[in-house]
Formats: sequence, C-alpha cells, structure tokens
Amino acid sequence: MKGISEGKEKKQILSFAGICLIIPIIFVTLSVSIVSCSKSYEFTMGNDFIDSQTRLQVIDTFRVDLKTILLDSITTSSTNHLLIGDYKDTIFGSVKCESYFDLAFQDFSELDLKAEYDSAAIVMVYSGYSYGDTTSQMSVSIHMLNENIEPYNSGYLYNNTVFDYSPEVTGSISFYPSINSIDTSVAIPVNSLGEDLFNRIMEKDESISSSDLFYEYLKGFKVTATSSGNKAVIGFKADKDNLFLRLYYHINSEVLEKKTLTVTMGPESHQFNNISYDFRDTPLEGIEAGGNEISSFRSGNKGYMQGLTSLLSKIQFPTLQDVLAVRRWKILRAELVITPARGSYDDFPLPKILHIYDTDKENRVNSVLKDSQGNPLTATFEFDGSYGENTRYTYEITNFINNELADAYFDYDHGLLIGLEQERFRSSLDRLLIEGRNPPVKLRLYFLTY
Amino acid sequence: MFRQGKTYILILFFLTIWSGNICSQTTSSPYSIFGVGYLESNSMGPSKGMGGTGIAFLSDIAINPMNPASYSGIDSLVSIFEVGIFGKYTSFATKTDNQSVVNANLKYVVMGFRINPWLATSFGFLPYSSVGYTINAKTPIEGTALSYIETFSGSGGVNQVYLGGSVKIFKNLSVGINAAYLFGNITRSESSDDFGYYLKDITYISNFDVNYGLNYRFNINKWRYNLGFIYGRARDLRTESETTIQTGTGTETVSGQTYGYSIPQNAGAGFSLRKGFFRLGIDYEWSNWQDVEFTNVYFKTRNSNRISVGFELPSMGVRKGTNKMIFFRFGGEYRQSYLLINNYPVDCRLLTFGAGLPLKGSLSTINVSLEVGQVGTTSNGLIRESFVSLHLDMSLRDLWFMKKRFN
Repeated sequence: MKGISEGKEKKQILSFAGICLIIPIIFVTLSVSIVSCSKSYEFTMGNDFIDSQTRLQVIDTFRVDLKTILLDSITTSSTNHLLIGDYKDTIFGSVKCESYFDLAFQDFSELDLKAEYDSAAIVMVYSGYSYGDTTSQMSVSIHMLNENIEPYNSGYLYNNTVFDYSPEVTGSISFYPSINSIDTSVAIPVNSLGEDLFNRIMEKDESISSSDLFYEYLKGFKVTATSSGNKAVIGFKADKDNLFLRLYYHINSEVLEKKTLTVTMGPESHQFNNISYDFRDTPLEGIEAGGNEISSFRSGNKGYMQGLTSLLSKIQFPTLQDVLAVRRWKILRAELVITPARGSYDDFPLPKILHIYDTDKENRVNSVLKDSQGNPLTATFEFDGSYGENTRYTYEITNFINNELADAYFDYDHGLLIGLEQERFRSSLDRLLIEGRNPPVKLRLYFLTY
Repeated sequence: MFRQGKTYILILFFLTIWSGNICSQTTSSPYSIFGVGYLESNSMGPSKGMGGTGIAFLSDIAINPMNPASYSGIDSLVSIFEVGIFGKYTSFATKTDNQSVVNANLKYVVMGFRINPWLATSFGFLPYSSVGYTINAKTPIEGTALSYIETFSGSGGVNQVYLGGSVKIFKNLSVGINAAYLFGNITRSESSDDFGYYLKDITYISNFDVNYGLNYRFNINKWRYNLGFIYGRARDLRTESETTIQTGTGTETVSGQTYGYSIPQNAGAGFSLRKGFFRLGIDYEWSNWQDVEFTNVYFKTRNSNRISVGFELPSMGVRKGTNKMIFFRFGGEYRQSYLLINNYPVDCRLLTFGAGLPLKGSLSTINVSLEVGQVGTTSNGLIRESFVSLHLDMSLRDLWFMKKRFN
C-alpha cells in the first residue's frame, strides 16, 4: 500500500514538471506571434504578380463651357476702402470709381474766444492699392451731397448706388500719387467749408448742436477724379483714423498757438464706392448687368473676371452626364484647371487668391465652395516665370462633382463662378482674363474603374 | 495524473486558440497572392521531422492525417491529442532586393482514438491554405506621366475540420476515409492613401472534401514493411464574394468579381520499413493542377509532384527501449510548384531535422522539428524565399476515455 501511494505522488510531481516545460514554450511562441503580428508585412517585391482590379486614369476630355456674366450689383459699403479714379483699356473697357462718405457728429466743445480760423482740408491716407498707371498726375474734387447717405434695408450700399450732389466743387487738388509710401496722405483744401463750420462752432450755431441738425447741415461728400486721363484708380483707407476733415486755427495770446480740430469719417456703413463701367468696343460689348451671359466664343475665347465691376467667369460641364454611362467607376479627384490668357497679366498682377461660387440658371452667386476643413475653397496658383505656359490656377472640386453626380443626374445649369474672395471682390478691381481655347479650361478627373 | 493531464491539455488548448485569435496571419509571402494561397501540408508530428513523409506511416505514436488508413494503428488503450504550433523565419530575395519576415501561430489541433478493435477514428482542425501579403506597387496613372503607390494586400485562408475513420479489414490491411469540411475566407484589397480609395473583396469559401487511404503491412524476417496509398477527387470550392469600395463619398457594396477555386485530384503512394526503433519512409504524391483553371493572367498551372524521404533513429545507450528514449529524425522533400509564374516554376526544396522528446512520467511526447528550405529562385524576375521553421508538436497520449469507462 505504502509503495503504491508513493508511486502515485511521484507521478503527479512528474506530470507537474511536464506543465512547467510546456507553459514556457507556449508563452515564448505566443510572444513571438504577438511581435510578428504587430509588424505589417509590406513587401517591396512581388509587383509583377499583381493582377489589378482597378484602373486609375486622368480624363480631361469632358467639355467645359466658359462664359462671362455681369452681376446686377454688389455691396461696396463698409469695406474700409475709398477708391477714386478711372481707367480704360480695350480688354475690360472703362471703369470709374467715385466714393461717398459722411462725417461723424461730435460734441463741438467751446473753442477759445480768441481762436482764429486758418484753413481746412479733407485728409485721405493711401491704402497702397492702385489699378492702372500710377505715374500720371491725378486731379480729385470733392462735392457736397444734397441728400443724406442712407443704407438700404439690407444695411448696405451698392456699386451702382448714387446720391444727389451739388455741382459746385467744394475742394480740389492735383497730385502725383505716391501709393508706395504708406501712411502718406492727400489733403484736399476745403477752406470755405472749413470756415463756415468754424464760424458755426464759434457762434454755437443750432445746426451743430445735435446729430440730426448736423446731418441736415453736412449731408456728406462725394470724391471723384476730374481729369486723370483714364489712367488709374487709387485706393485710400476709409476709417475714422485715416479719413477726416481737419480745421486749422490759432489762438492769439502772448505766443501764437496753432491748433487743429478733427471731424472724423461717419459710420462705415455710409462709406461706399460707386462704380460705373462701359464695355463698349470690347469683346464684352452688349453684356447686361444681371442679364445675359456672354459665351467665350463670342468674347475672343476668353472669360472675364473682375472685382468691383462684378464680372464673373461662369463654368459649366455640358458633357459630364456621359460619365454615368460607364459601369463601376469612382471619381477620386476632380480638378478644375484655369489658365490666365497669356499677355493679360503683364501690367496687372494676377489675383493671388481665387474662390469659386455655386451658381444656377439665374446666375446668382449662391454660396462659396468649401474645402474639407469648411474654409472657402482656394485655387492653387502656379506661376511659370520663364514662358508662362504652366501658369495656372487649380481648384480641387471633387466634392462638387461627386455631389452633383450622386443622384445619377448632372444638372448643366448648376454651374460654378470664378471670382475673387468676397472682401477683395467688393473692394478692388483685381482682374483675370481666362484663356478659353488654347488651352481651354479643363476638368481633370482622376477616374477609377474597377 | 489523469486529472493533471486533462488540466494542462485544456490550458494548452485555450492558449493556442487564443494565440490563433490574436494573429490569424499564418503566411507571409508574395507567392500567396495566387489561388487559395500557400498550400499547407497535412503532415504533422514525427512526419514533420522526416521531410513530411507519412503516407505509409501508421498513427501509432502520433496522429497522421496524411493517410486516413493510418488511424488503425492507434493503440487500443490510449487517446492521442495533438497540438501543433510553429514559428517561421523567411528571407525573401530578388536580384536587387532583400527582406525578411517572422510568422508564428497555432497550426493544428487533432485528436484520435480507437473505438473498437476494428475501428479507429480521428478528428481535428487543420489549415488547408493561407494568404498573407502586402505589396506596395508603383502604378501609373493613365493619361499622365505620373504614378502613385497602390497597396495590394491579402489575408485569410482556408481551414479544414475533418472527421476520419479507419477500418481494419484484414489483419494486414486497413482502409480509411477523411471527410473534411473546408471553410474560410480570403480578403484581397487594393488601396491608395493618396487617392483615398479602398477596394476590398472578401471571398467566402466552403465545401466538403473526401480523401481515401489504404495501408497494407507485411513482415519479412524482422523487418516490418508498410505500403500506403491515398487518393482525393478534384473538387470545386463553393465561393461567395463580397466586394466593397470605399472612397471619399462613402462605402458601396458592388457585385463582386467571383474568384473560382478548386482542389485538384490528388494521389499518392508511400513505402516504409521498420526494424526495432528504426523507421524509414518514402512518399510520392501527384496533384493534377493542370485541369484547374485560374483567372490570374500571370501564372499557369501544371501537375505537381512531391517526393520525400525520412528516417527515424532512437537514442542509443541506457535510454534505448525505455520511455526516456529520444528519437532523432532526418528528412528531405522536393515539392514541385503547381504554379508557373511567367512560365517559370517556384519549386520548394527542404531538409528537416527532428527530435521526439518524451515527457517525463507520461506517454506523451514533444516533437520538435526544424525545417530549412527554399522556394523559387531569384532569376527570371522571381523571388527566392529561404526559410527556417520550427515546429512544436505536443502529442499527448493519455488514458482519458479508458478511465471514464472504468469509473
């Protein structure tokens, strides 16, 4: 009996030794397998064995229609830009910029009884913006308005808004623009206006005692170029610090004390630029604001785009519907490639930032296309300094194309508008002439079939 | 002892299953892109150490599913439970490039026992094939001078669960049959990060497969001779594909391209002889792949032949003849590929070394086998795979069922 039980015990111990042997082996192999799994087996060889199910090709043969439209109007108030001047060429025709603003009412505190008036000027500070040839002399005059500047119910004033003004010139100046010296200014002498205001202050006239009465007296101004010779449009800053009426006076006591009184620009929403344009003798002759569209075939195979004149190039895809006839495909990327017409940007710099807008049959600017981050979609700009052949803008409009094709129907009327970014669009005359034929605007589809 | 034995078998079982779940990838090879992938061999345990030789071996010390007639060799008193795991290091070479990969996984879990004096059975889980590759290929974008990196990958494979039986017709002759259910899926994908697409095709594969075996034995002087024969019919596998494409606009299921997969007609003959603890075996196997059609244009198939030789020696000295005796095994195998890639074969040559180590105090053995081999060549634009694999086979023999019966 004793012997048997001893033997049994011995066997159990031995079998325990068996476990001790097996378990470590298992764990070693397990850890090996875990390590090997964390690696991904990427082979740099075996390419020849592949029998690909997919085929990726770039197709740029879908036709793209290029047209030019002219918007009915765009808002130009509250842009902080005051533009004066006119310019004419045979491509974009003539454009004239006039600017309106009023002054801010303030508490005209009592001036010293011994104060004596010297002079007055409307001061405008260069913004650095210009359009055209800035080396010519420019003459600017200022007129008083016969009516108050009142924004429309929308809260805005437009590029075609006008207010009645007095033909009498309140002040004028001729000067050579020095747009590159920032913070320098142009002062338009308005001596008689200044003296009148000065006297009213001295006399504590009722007309300057309240905001209502002040705007009854000084309704606002219109600044316009008189004889620039259609050479240039110059930009000035339009804000309270950089656009004002300044009165110069002195006080006669023991020493002569020179003093100034500043009346700043009024509300920003009252300052706007009126743009008048004329496309006669250009390929765009006949285009109507808010009306017809001009096909690039009728405008020298070019599409036109310009800021304040509100010209936009319209893009449409008449044959994209054909893609639906193909079986099993995906558009992985869609690029819209736009080439500026050669020679069109020698004198005018190409816009750095271009946006793209959704439009419809009525040519409304519906919404700006967004990128995946939700920011307005911007065209990638490439500049070819040597020959210009590869100077181009590329928009990635994959989402637009895929969304349009999602319902298995492509709406031709759902087009795109090439334009400046919104702020620049309503405050500059930046322009772009798009080549329509050689090379045409291209839609490049990265087309996957499987 | 019996209770202990059961416990560690269970532990082992769950651990190995767990390891299998962690990493289902058992193969890494660009060649596994073809067909159902890398074809696994049915050999296990002692056979692995003898160049995969086993058609004429009986399942006396380990289960041998290569020939279902072998189950009749299972001792009437024991049940055999066998688990195999492996680790493989492969070095891939082309004329210009070099890479290496390590794989490890559970390989099989099988069991066998005798039901009555004339009938023995075995069942278990075995791999049939496996796929594992990720290839980054430079693909041209048509219509441009550009190209991009397209990633091709494949994973998965086909497994089999089988139930086999062997009947002793005469004292010297037994026949056997393995009924297997093949199942699994192979996932192949093509994708590009640059262009944001992912095309995935999962093919679900299943079918029944039946293999037949015969074993005839005779003695001349003190030598015991065995003849083994195996046969399997050609069979198409049932496949069902599901293809999805994922792009920036979402995921879409499309009717898949259906891959056809088949098992070839297969036949083999083996011869073995034995004296005392010395054993030697020779196998010849033939597979009729020529009649199997594939869709891939880059390869053709041909009939493949496999020849292997292996022998087993006991350790000499005091341990000989005791249950502490160690077996040493040696073998070699030459396996013609059924694939002709660009008209060139990718044959496999290997040498094996093995040892059967008895577990102290039990009937169980651990079989360790080392395989050293090569597949393909670097010429003709092919890849040469040089590999070393270590197979661990735990052949646990116990008196489980007997115990229950006596209780």
